[in-house]
Amino acid sequence: MTPVESAERALRRAVPWIATSLALIAAVYVRALAFTPAEAAQGPAQKIFYVHVPSAWVAFLAFGIVGGVSLAYLLRKDPRLDLLAESAAEVGMVFTSVVLVTGPIWGKPIWGTWWTWDARLTLTLFLWFVVLAYLVLRGAVNEPERRARYAAVLGILGALLVPFIYASVYLFRTIHPMPVILRAGGPTLPGAMLATLLFSIAVFTLFFGVLLYYRYSLARLADARADAAAERRDA
Amino acid sequence: MHDLLRVTWAVAAKDVLLEFRSRTAFVSALVFTALVLAIFNFARDPTAVSARDLAPGILWITFTFAGMLGLNRAFALERENRALDGLLLSPASRTAVYLGKVLANLAFVGAVEAVALPLFALFFNVPVLPVLGPLVLVIALATLGFVAVGTLMSSMAVNTRLAELMLPVLLLPFLVPPVTSAVQMTAQLFAGRPFSEALGWLRLLVGYDVIFVAACILFFESTIEE
Amino acid sequence: MPPRSGGMPENGGYMVAAYVAAGAIYLIYTALLLRRGRAGK
Repeated sequence: MTPVESAERALRRAVPWIATSLALIAAVYVRALAFTPAEAAQGPAQKIFYVHVPSAWVAFLAFGIVGGVSLAYLLRKDPRLDLLAESAAEVGMVFTSVVLVTGPIWGKPIWGTWWTWDARLTLTLFLWFVVLAYLVLRGAVNEPERRARYAAVLGILGALLVPFIYASVYLFRTIHPMPVILRAGGPTLPGAMLATLLFSIAVFTLFFGVLLYYRYSLARLADARADAAAERRDA
Repeated sequence: MHDLLRVTWAVAAKDVLLEFRSRTAFVSALVFTALVLAIFNFARDPTAVSARDLAPGILWITFTFAGMLGLNRAFALERENRALDGLLLSPASRTAVYLGKVLANLAFVGAVEAVALPLFALFFNVPVLPVLGPLVLVIALATLGFVAVGTLMSSMAVNTRLAELMLPVLLLPFLVPPVTSAVQMTAQLFAGRPFSEALGWLRLLVGYDVIFVAACILFFESTIEE
Repeated sequence: MPPRSGGMPENGGYMVAAYVAAGAIYLIYTALLLRRGRAGK
């Protein structure tokens, strides 16, 4: 089987997985909206939590993958690692955007304001900026080898930056206290809510994995096609 | 080691001399400083907003902008002259090139800061002299942090399409820890708070400098053509 | 249906908005990916 054919097969194999993940997300929606009790003090809007938190977890997971794979690329110089990092960044961007959209929609009814510079949202915002910079940088370099190198450097530095931004926001908030963030149900979640949250985290992580695999296969396919075309030209 | 120092110094001296001859970036930075001072003076109600509240933020906006101007020029010059190629003969040279560039950029930004700070003290009526020691330390540490990362970023940005636009896009998130720390510590110093209250920010800033200067030295090599 | 007690705020609209927005973003991206997978055949 040629590289092009095996990449195409990978794509086809992934489609049922995508369908399954989407169905599971629908199940999460039904469970969260209809079968999980609302939190008395915050009202139904608190349920945004079941989409916001798993998306945030995935966003940071994706970014961790970008950082780790970027380091691996600089050490091993395998172009497939570069494609994996690129895929993780793009898919991670989508999840990060969902966090930034659902965050304010949750914040407005709960805290009365669309945006507060709280630790999690601020950290996510700057994560978004770093991933954006990563994707813009990739778009601005034509040569594949240099693009991969530059992106890897930015990916690693970006991953190093995350704990410092967290520390900055944390320090800022301890000195300038803000309204206490209401947690979903106090320090410990009641059983039904915890179960929904864990279910949602599992489903969204699976969804991320499937999208990542598909996006990576797309990149491999494009690469394989470009190689095949170059070979035909040289022949 | 001696080689490293020699090349570092050579690179730094060349860049500083070039900038000194043309002086355009330096003058632009000073003009911007004067502009910021004037605008913020007329933009606020003096009875409602005290100059002291605004001063730390404005000070650091100016310093950061001066830094960006300097960073942009440094590598643009290289691209025009292809002067880098002659320097890249051995791995030690690459670190020396990076350090030399950082030194030159530090000299540039430092010069702007040295002129801007007295002007700020004058026009914003902030008590700089009593806290000059700690203030200079804060300025030095924060400037080192963002110049170190900025030098690396500009070495990549300069080889992309939209180079001048790319640098701020790449650099902005990396400015948050050092500039936030610097602004907070500057505000505390101007307010006459004891420096011990700012230890958390100082640790953050020093930690940032250590990690990122080391990382940039390590990864600069990967931004240079083979 | 979730149990409703007397003092709960009426902010279900936000909940719906967030769920719809998130779902839309994920669906649109998935659709775009799948379309890229079909293109060039």
